[in-house]
Amino acid sequence: MNAGETPALRLSVLGIVVISLFAALFSRLWYLQVMDSKTFLAAAKQNQVQIVYEPAPRGRILDRNGAVLVDNRYRFVVSLPRQSVTQHPDVTTRVAALLNMSLDDVNKRVADPRYSQYKPVPIADDVTKDVAIQIKEQQDEFPGVEVTRVAERVYPNGALAAHVLGNVGQVTSDELKKLRKDGYREGDEIGRAGVERAYEKYLRGEPGVTKLAVDATGNVLPVALGPPKRPVPGRDVQLTIDAGVQRLAEDSLAQGLEAARNTTDRDSGKKFTAPAGAAVVLNPNDGSVLALASYPTYDPTVFVGGIKQAVFDEMSKKENHFPLNDRAIQGQYPPGSTFKLFTSLAALDKGIIDPRTTVDDQGKFTIKNCLGEQCVYRNAGGLKYGKVNLAGALTVSSDVFFYQLGATFWGQRAKAPDAMQEMARTFGLGSRTGIPLLGEQPGRVWTPADKKRAHEQRPKDFPFGNWQTGDNVNLAIGQGDLAITPLQLSSAYGAFATGGLFAQPRIAARVLDPQSRPVADLPMAPTRQITLPAGSDAVRQGLQLAISDSKGTGYPAFAGFPLASFPIAGKTGTAQVPPLQDTALFVSYGPTTKPQYVVTVVMEEAGFGGSTAAPVARRVWEGLVGAPPGPVTLAGGGAD
Amino acid sequence: MAGFPGSPGRRANPAAPWHHVDTTLMASVVAIASLGMLMVYSATHKKLQDAGIDSATYLKRQAVFVLLGVGVMILVASIDYRVYRDFAPVIYVGGMTLLLFVLTPLGSTVRGTQAWYQVGPFQLQPSEIAKVVVIVCGSTYAALHRGELDGRRVAVLMAIIGGPMAIVYLQPDLGTALVFVAILMGLLLVAGAKPRHLGIVVLLGVFGVVTVFQLGVIKQYQLDRLGAFLDPAHDQKQSAYNLHQSTIAIGSGGIRGKGLFKGSQTNLSYVPEQRTDFIFTVVGEELGLLGSALLLVLFAIVVWRTWRAAALSKDLYGTLVCVGVLAMFVFQIFENVGMTMGIMPITGIPLPFVSYGGSATLASFAGIGLVLNVYMRRFS
Repeated sequence: MNAGETPALRLSVLGIVVISLFAALFSRLWYLQVMDSKTFLAAAKQNQVQIVYEPAPRGRILDRNGAVLVDNRYRFVVSLPRQSVTQHPDVTTRVAALLNMSLDDVNKRVADPRYSQYKPVPIADDVTKDVAIQIKEQQDEFPGVEVTRVAERVYPNGALAAHVLGNVGQVTSDELKKLRKDGYREGDEIGRAGVERAYEKYLRGEPGVTKLAVDATGNVLPVALGPPKRPVPGRDVQLTIDAGVQRLAEDSLAQGLEAARNTTDRDSGKKFTAPAGAAVVLNPNDGSVLALASYPTYDPTVFVGGIKQAVFDEMSKKENHFPLNDRAIQGQYPPGSTFKLFTSLAALDKGIIDPRTTVDDQGKFTIKNCLGEQCVYRNAGGLKYGKVNLAGALTVSSDVFFYQLGATFWGQRAKAPDAMQEMARTFGLGSRTGIPLLGEQPGRVWTPADKKRAHEQRPKDFPFGNWQTGDNVNLAIGQGDLAITPLQLSSAYGAFATGGLFAQPRIAARVLDPQSRPVADLPMAPTRQITLPAGSDAVRQGLQLAISDSKGTGYPAFAGFPLASFPIAGKTGTAQVPPLQDTALFVSYGPTTKPQYVVTVVMEEAGFGGSTAAPVARRVWEGLVGAPPGPVTLAGGGAD
Repeated sequence: MAGFPGSPGRRANPAAPWHHVDTTLMASVVAIASLGMLMVYSATHKKLQDAGIDSATYLKRQAVFVLLGVGVMILVASIDYRVYRDFAPVIYVGGMTLLLFVLTPLGSTVRGTQAWYQVGPFQLQPSEIAKVVVIVCGSTYAALHRGELDGRRVAVLMAIIGGPMAIVYLQPDLGTALVFVAILMGLLLVAGAKPRHLGIVVLLGVFGVVTVFQLGVIKQYQLDRLGAFLDPAHDQKQSAYNLHQSTIAIGSGGIRGKGLFKGSQTNLSYVPEQRTDFIFTVVGEELGLLGSALLLVLFAIVVWRTWRAAALSKDLYGTLVCVGVLAMFVFQIFENVGMTMGIMPITGIPLPFVSYGGSATLASFAGIGLVLNVYMRRFS
């Protein structure tokens, strides 16, 4: 090997290696700064801007007179950055002392893995304003320690209208997938039920947005990034609910159920269970709901800050009768004799009877050429009412009169099929009223075809598919394949009371800004005019006599009520729901001259409508006419 | 006296060393060092200002280092490089002693690495000086045998360089240890090692790396940083953070850059260790492709002039000294710039003349001093 040549050759090799390395650097530089520069520019921008959201307080919920039903309360939360514990043990010690916590407690909270690693961890909730101010004023002493103001729901009237108001909860990550475009973020609250849910879009405010320039360690820099957007508080929602009437309805219902529990059931010989019920007060002229009461109820504050599992489990137990259920819109009950209104109207409409038609009520009705299991149907309590016309039958609640109608309808089914069902549906039974509250049930108004279909689809649940005369006879008095919700019944009677004006029930009237200035009226659904059949006045008369006539089923309950100055019409109902005790129903409207209110009461396992539900309604009426309401006194006797 | 510029008697001597100084090399190095000072200022002034300290603190210190470095460069260049050969054993023992004693309580620890002597307000890092020592002594040994390197001699050369390298590795300073490997490879290549031996050395290197990983000799943080290089998107918050932020800084600079002192990544301290190991990100972000490419071109000129000095050297020893310096620079440039752009694993290694740091700056200038030395004495 020539020593003179070798280094030259080898130096060339070295040169080539060096050139390749530099070429590699240049091409990478080209890639980063020319070809992919946009990506990195965006990443660099994102690095420096931290967006801080300040949640806006939710709007309040007011009653029709402006009384506050749901308000906000602010609490102060103290948070500590994770690294403080290791980097500034002195700060941690000071914070612990100020909050009256042990250092161990603080450390434990800070270590809580549920909280983000990059945000301060809440260590004390609901500290006093003094503590909050002290931390803010002496921020030098407490570097990194944050005090935030959190709004939460408060209920100045306790459990009043709990079902109507509903509750809020934290938005879930699943919901966020859809809601993020509407500005929802982790930790945001969203209406979960009731008005809170229905009017979420008004109640929810717009969060404040502040863009901060931050450096790598999260220090906020004094660089202006545009003016911060202040949070816009949510709108107030004013309900049609009248807090006074609501309280009256809730109290009366609770009292009535309590009284029923102290009364012995003649059928079973045991005390009535009377575990639950509902009461509705409605203005039939525009569908405004003044009171929507459901028993048992609950304290809505259990939902504030998230309901505890133990509380929820307790509420979900059968023996506690599911207080979260709003029975006024979710409870589905057989209407019993309150259905006779629709049977009557159908009969008049189809010309089966006129107001003068009479039936001799001897206490029982026998189906001719009977093939079914049951051929003889009796009045409740086996009472005989003698010769009754339509008004009289409604007054005394003669079952025999309506059995007869049911059988006749069946006989004429070729000419006018499903006449009763059609009339009931015209008045909104069997479908949701459309009140914007979560979980409303449609009830059930079955025709023979519906029954057949149900049997074919689910033979185990519905063992019989055939509709027989007996089914029609039962339907005529509101038994059988029939279920209503208390709100449906109220709205249907309201439509009759106003001469056929059907207004969809509504719960909220208008939206107000935080200074209580009206922003928008919530529009009513269009009303619908139902043409009442000729002879409807006899029905009206019958319903009025049921209250005012001494033979009327509602008479005992309204003894002493100023009916002369404030005439009321109504119908009692007692629905059989074996093996349970009877459901008591009462639906009424007044004043009959120009109806202003419909009052409906439904009580589970509480006996006769006339003796149990009607007295509850009476107490509500007393409040409505301005008389001081006395205690609910159950009416004696009664047969419906 | 040996060739001082302006001494009247020597002016006519065309072989006088000072007539053959490589001004291109000197100018390039001074240009790089000036740009470096500007970048150090850009990377630090904001933070210092915020802390209420003189915003030029680091700039001033780096300026002192550069001035000292120029002095060292002239000093190293003025003593005939062949003198170093004669004193190689003494130089080697001195360098090793400094390296060894830094591991005793005489040395101080900064961020877990025991690699500094506290000298007044400055820290002296003997591993930087050891690089230059190894270049001189390695070249001396390799040149003794005039291109006839058999296996035994290759082993001795490896031992000469491997000794200091092992000590540096123990400090632990993986990055600087790797520089020694680069110097060794460069010397072996040009000094005339047989391709077979070169191959064995490479294999040994691979084997060594594998062993080091398998036996867990490498510290966890070193593994993390290497792992971040292999999969940067995997965990941006931990070890890959450095890499992630530095590529953002360079990439966001684009062609023209964001302007001097206007880099957001730089001003907001998103890139860690920015005045030292990640100084190139300031160039990339604020001066863009134009500035980065200019810097790389200046480096390329330095490397080219060094290579040229090696090629033109009067003797093999001079060639090898230049090759050693070249290997040191090229490795440091490629590793440092490469890691900020994500094509090399992250190891703590300064960018010559640009990164803030006294010892590294002095060592780099000393290296250039050697190259100038060899080049200007190519006729004498």
